[in-house]
Amino acid sequence: MIDRAVADSLPRKNGELVFEAPWEGRAFGMAVVMHDRGAYRWGDFRDRLVEHISDASVPYYESWLGALESLLLGHGLIEQGELKTRFQDFKQLRRDPVF
Amino acid sequence: MNGVHDMGGMHGFGPVPIEADEPAFHASWEGRVLAMQLRTRGKWYHLDEFRNAIERIPAARYLDAGYYERWLIAIETLMVDKGVVSPGELATGHVMTPAAAPPQRPPDDRPPLRPRFDPGDRVVARNLHPESHTRMPRYVRGRRGVVRSVSGPYLLPDTNVHGGSRDWEPVYAVEFSALELWGQNANTVICVDLWESYLEADV
Amino acid sequence: MSDRHTHDHDHDHDHDHGHHPEPPSDAEARALALESLLREKGLISGEEIDRIVSAYEHDIGPMIGARVVARAWTDPEYRRRLLADAAPAVAELALGGPSATNLTVIANTPEVHNLVVCTLCSCYPWAVLGLPPSWYKSPAYRSRAVREPRAVLHEFGLELPDSVRVNVWDSSSDLRYMVLPERPVGTEGWSEDELAALVTRDCMIGVARPQTPAAARS
Repeated sequence: MIDRAVADSLPRKNGELVFEAPWEGRAFGMAVVMHDRGAYRWGDFRDRLVEHISDASVPYYESWLGALESLLLGHGLIEQGELKTRFQDFKQLRRDPVF
Repeated sequence: MNGVHDMGGMHGFGPVPIEADEPAFHASWEGRVLAMQLRTRGKWYHLDEFRNAIERIPAARYLDAGYYERWLIAIETLMVDKGVVSPGELATGHVMTPAAAPPQRPPDDRPPLRPRFDPGDRVVARNLHPESHTRMPRYVRGRRGVVRSVSGPYLLPDTNVHGGSRDWEPVYAVEFSALELWGQNANTVICVDLWESYLEADV
Repeated sequence: MSDRHTHDHDHDHDHDHGHHPEPPSDAEARALALESLLREKGLISGEEIDRIVSAYEHDIGPMIGARVVARAWTDPEYRRRLLADAAPAVAELALGGPSATNLTVIANTPEVHNLVVCTLCSCYPWAVLGLPPSWYKSPAYRSRAVREPRAVLHEFGLELPDSVRVNVWDSSSDLRYMVLPERPVGTEGWSEDELAALVTRDCMIGVARPQTPAAARS
């Protein structure tokens, strides 16, 4: 858990955190930057997001991440195998999360 | 849809080829291939053609080639297809004839707005139930409303999937009463943005 | 790359915090995997992501919309331009942030109260309000705002007489909506700064009204 001093210093808008955890910000940032670089139209991202958030049990930014993954996989910018492998690398602490 | 994200506990990937301090590119040529792709895509070919070119690589060659080598093969294939380079030039590495200019592809080929409906027109949202993408919310299908305003045109999301056909259509803010949508008379209206092909005139 | 350690899982790790970190959550590991791959492929840089995150955490937020509202309250010509074509009018104030293309500003009047929602996902006017609050993205808001808006407003503490029309806007296309609330009574002669301070994010979505001067003082 985040301790109080850190929590109070986190960016808030109207008293709420903009991002509950750093990974949410990274997921958001990646989606925006890849769009700005021309990898896809925002409407395409939106369509994927709609598909993913139809599962109401999934937290919002996880749906966001799912939409981004499927869009980048669909466009051939990343491959399923390497994504799975890299995920396991981080889960198993074989890779340093600070880079 | 089944989640690509549901990765935990999956089998069959073999030993993980861990590389200490793995560099971004294993050889400088890989970086150059990436740079080439970023500069040629969108200009000489679009993403789907690129993906298709990779898919066209014969299976044995595909499996042998690494990630960036497949990109290189795809770019070579497309540049020959588009007549930018000839197979002879590729083989020798020398220019024989200068390439023609890339096709004119303005970033946003948006046509002028030519709306079928005007503000104040009575319309009905068509009762469409498409399998794929649509932005017409279910709750307005078959319902009658009035056009409030027109904007655009914007690309119709239903057909513009994976760089498919680019149908530009006006988008209308259509006002529906709560009575029409929910059977309640609560002095409430709901405006929904609808592409032109979602609508019919209400006669 | 650090050496691998074999772990005795019964061992108490308290004395060794920095050396044996917690594994990341699945979501975190997914984000790390994606970012590290995209960076290695040269498709994205960490700095670009940093810039976007920082912009939305610090610079792009409802204070932009509040300035737009305050200007519209004090300058009738600006208000007219804003309602006719929002993007250039927002740009006039040079408040920074992304361009407000596709934005439409809808004005509240004594007869009509506007409310914005995206029933299909979570579309929101980022350029003037920053990122949406969690409740805006919730299934409850998305489903009920079009179906029973007065009940939703009641839950936000806003009561409207039946004589006031409620106009809900479902952001189902590329267009984005922001509400221009009514200027509170008793603010004659106030500066734009003072007026902007009364304008909250919730008023520009439509689930609230700006505070009255009396309430703001207390």
